[in-house]
Amino acid sequence: MKRSRIPLYTTCLVLLFFYLPIAVLVINSFNASKFGGGWGGFSLRWYRELIDQREIWHALRNTLVIAFSATALSVVLGTSAAFALHRFTGRLQRLHYTLIYTPLVVPDILMGMSLLLFFVALSAQLSLLTIFLAHVTFCISYVAMVVLARLQDFDFSIVEAAQDLGANWWTAAWRVLLPMLAPGIGAGALLAFTLSIDDFVISFFVAGPGSTTLPIRIYSMIKHGSPPLINALSVLLLVITFVLVWFSQKLTEEKIK
Amino acid sequence: MKKMKWIGIMGCVAAALLGGCSKSKPVLHVYNWADYIKPELVEQFEAQEQCRVVIDTFDSNESMYAKLKAGATGYDVIFPSSYMAKIMNDQDMLLPINPAALPNLKNLDPAYLDLAMDRAMAYSVPYMLSITGIGYLTDRLPDFEASWTMFNDPAVKGACTLLNDMRETIGAGLKARGYSLNSTSEAELAEARDQVIEWKRNIAKFENEQYKNGLASEEFILVHGYSGDILQVQEENENIDFAIPREGTSITFDDMVIPRDARNVALAHKFINYLHDPEVAAENTEYISYLCPNKASYAYLSEETRENPILFPPEEVVANLEVVADLGEENAKYTKVWDQIKAAE
Amino acid sequence: MKTSRRRRYTEWLVTLPSLAWLVVLFVLPTLIVFAIAFKPANPYGGIGAGWTWSTLASLGNPNYPAIIWRTLWISTTTTVLCLLLGIPMAYFMAQLPPRRRQVFLLLVIIPFWTSFLVRIFAWKVLLHPDGLIKQALVALHLVDADASLLYNAGAVLLVMVYTYLPFAVLPIYAAAEKFEFALIEAARDLGASSWKAFRSIFLPGIRRGILTAFLMVFIPALGAYVIPDIVGGPHSEMIGNKIAQRTFVDRNLPHASALSVILTLAVLAPLTAGMLMQRKKDRHAVLHQEGL
Repeated sequence: MKRSRIPLYTTCLVLLFFYLPIAVLVINSFNASKFGGGWGGFSLRWYRELIDQREIWHALRNTLVIAFSATALSVVLGTSAAFALHRFTGRLQRLHYTLIYTPLVVPDILMGMSLLLFFVALSAQLSLLTIFLAHVTFCISYVAMVVLARLQDFDFSIVEAAQDLGANWWTAAWRVLLPMLAPGIGAGALLAFTLSIDDFVISFFVAGPGSTTLPIRIYSMIKHGSPPLINALSVLLLVITFVLVWFSQKLTEEKIK
Repeated sequence: MKKMKWIGIMGCVAAALLGGCSKSKPVLHVYNWADYIKPELVEQFEAQEQCRVVIDTFDSNESMYAKLKAGATGYDVIFPSSYMAKIMNDQDMLLPINPAALPNLKNLDPAYLDLAMDRAMAYSVPYMLSITGIGYLTDRLPDFEASWTMFNDPAVKGACTLLNDMRETIGAGLKARGYSLNSTSEAELAEARDQVIEWKRNIAKFENEQYKNGLASEEFILVHGYSGDILQVQEENENIDFAIPREGTSITFDDMVIPRDARNVALAHKFINYLHDPEVAAENTEYISYLCPNKASYAYLSEETRENPILFPPEEVVANLEVVADLGEENAKYTKVWDQIKAAE
Repeated sequence: MKTSRRRRYTEWLVTLPSLAWLVVLFVLPTLIVFAIAFKPANPYGGIGAGWTWSTLASLGNPNYPAIIWRTLWISTTTTVLCLLLGIPMAYFMAQLPPRRRQVFLLLVIIPFWTSFLVRIFAWKVLLHPDGLIKQALVALHLVDADASLLYNAGAVLLVMVYTYLPFAVLPIYAAAEKFEFALIEAARDLGASSWKAFRSIFLPGIRRGILTAFLMVFIPALGAYVIPDIVGGPHSEMIGNKIAQRTFVDRNLPHASALSVILTLAVLAPLTAGMLMQRKKDRHAVLHQEGL
């Protein structure tokens, strides 16, 4: 029986489509020619110049401060939300689920716009704090969804067994449930962290003096900066991404063991 | 177990990052246009005053103003164009300038100061002068004419840009039709609108920043832009030239102002004063290719710069330049025309 | 009695933190957007006093329908293209042996992990007049040497498909992975053509994945702002650009809010429709099982 080859070809073409721009970017980051029209010889010049760009390092620092703090808080809020959604049913949880689910699909620009107006209404000063609040708001939902998916595979009789053995609910949750869920929470945290690092639109709306994050910096570099510097920076970010992906693979592997 | 180790490592990295940078030097928050100050001068100022300067950038007066109104408070020095500085002052957003803290004000060029809106320097100090005009590639446009009509030329179709700036671009349309760029006549504005819509069919993009690289990399061959920006990229592509359209164009004073909510007013004054030190001003002019109207600094400029007709235009050219003024309530007419331009097919 | 009160107490304890956070920082801001849409603007960028319909009414002016229409067609075309590419990919990947399946899955996910802005920038480089694609197309005599590939609706569409395609592939793949491919073999054995088997057995079998993919692509596409800003031109503005312009350039927050209200409604329509369809189908499935 003859099988259609269309799916195979589509897949190969799409993967080519996915990787072509990235490959060109990586190659151009080593290109001595400034505008990348032709090959001007191999050079590490752009990486050296990148190191001297202190605005980039300042922006990177802002980004990491926000990513670490927003991840920490959203993991706590998101995990507790996932517990609530999993353990309880009823009208309150239906409302809770809708509130957790909606931010996942609302376009960034609407979220940025509404948060900006909220801060304007409060006459709040835009700063790293407002970016942090915004990031926690969208990260909660992602963490909650990832942890909820893990909870659904979880055997709650273990917690009940611990309770039968004399542990109260909190001890059981803390000593038994949480460690077993750690890989799920870790995966949620990693997702929140990468989303926070990559967010441009929402941060752009609520950023204030001195709180330029890395994506905002990259955006302004795309507008007026030197293209090869963006190439070099992108390659560095790619390397970091690969390390993170590898790290997350490790996490899931450990869970399987 | 391995996982714990990883988390530990990441925690240490985070702690190092957070701890390493938070030395408590005074910080000066500056809000400026991109590429509008020589970075080495900022570093020199930092070393001199034992402080840290954090610069954020904006790409149009309007976007800067909107961001401030939305709650981006806490900047110490901002660099608006003079009409915007006036609006900000009228809105009670600025602190008065303290001349006693600015001994270098005596260096300013009185000839240019006469053109300024805030002649007394009550709330603003001039920083740079820029002329808006046309940047182009000489080799690709042998028949170039210094005229706004170039934006209609089929030779530049899909390879030219206009500024994404309401006042500048409508102003160019008004000038092309022979009107003042501060016109509030509905009929004249309608003509300017139709002119810009005609250009819009020929351009690649409305753009405030990307035109520099676009011209240098020959992606665009004709751009509407600021004099210094074009002169800056001449270094990267020798075919680039700048022209002042014969129908007339705008000249802009960009000023330095101190907003009402500045946290470090004394340091802000020191920064403004520093930028008007004759040698510093000359170095800055050489680097960013805009003219700092600081008479004492002219002596430190290279001969090439002093003879550049874009930086020191001859009198008959100056007579053709107009300063963008604040139009108050009439501004709504421009917003409406700009919307019609943006929506037109 | 006592345990049930305890249970309620625990429920509130784990629900309240996230619920309160989202009410304050998500629901309340959205309500503020709706409220400000009924406020007048003042020329210096403040929000005027009193209430008015005129802001919303001004959306009827001829400038807006064109932008709303363009936003709809670009988003719809993006979604259709993503589904057309995503479905055969998922079909192919789901039939691979598990190990190779993992490899392909990772290959799909990795680009999705790189910075969103960097991916857009990469296309700007590729489509540049001196870029690889332009040179290749000129060499093949497919485009004119003077033609510009950037700054038009086509470029926006291309980069949108590039950016959102992983959002389509992943949910469709998740559904296809659970699909029983033996059903297709069976249909073929009974004489159905490959295409007929694909259409009448595979597609209905992954309906749920397709629906999720549709929502995951169409809704963010409606709110696209960065892509048309960077690779679009004067004739490819979308509603997101207009919201940003009203907020950051014109400083007309009531207008920006009114546009956001339109966008919110445009997003809610497919979302509720999708949720209702899913609920109805779930009910069907339950009835079906009970019937068995």
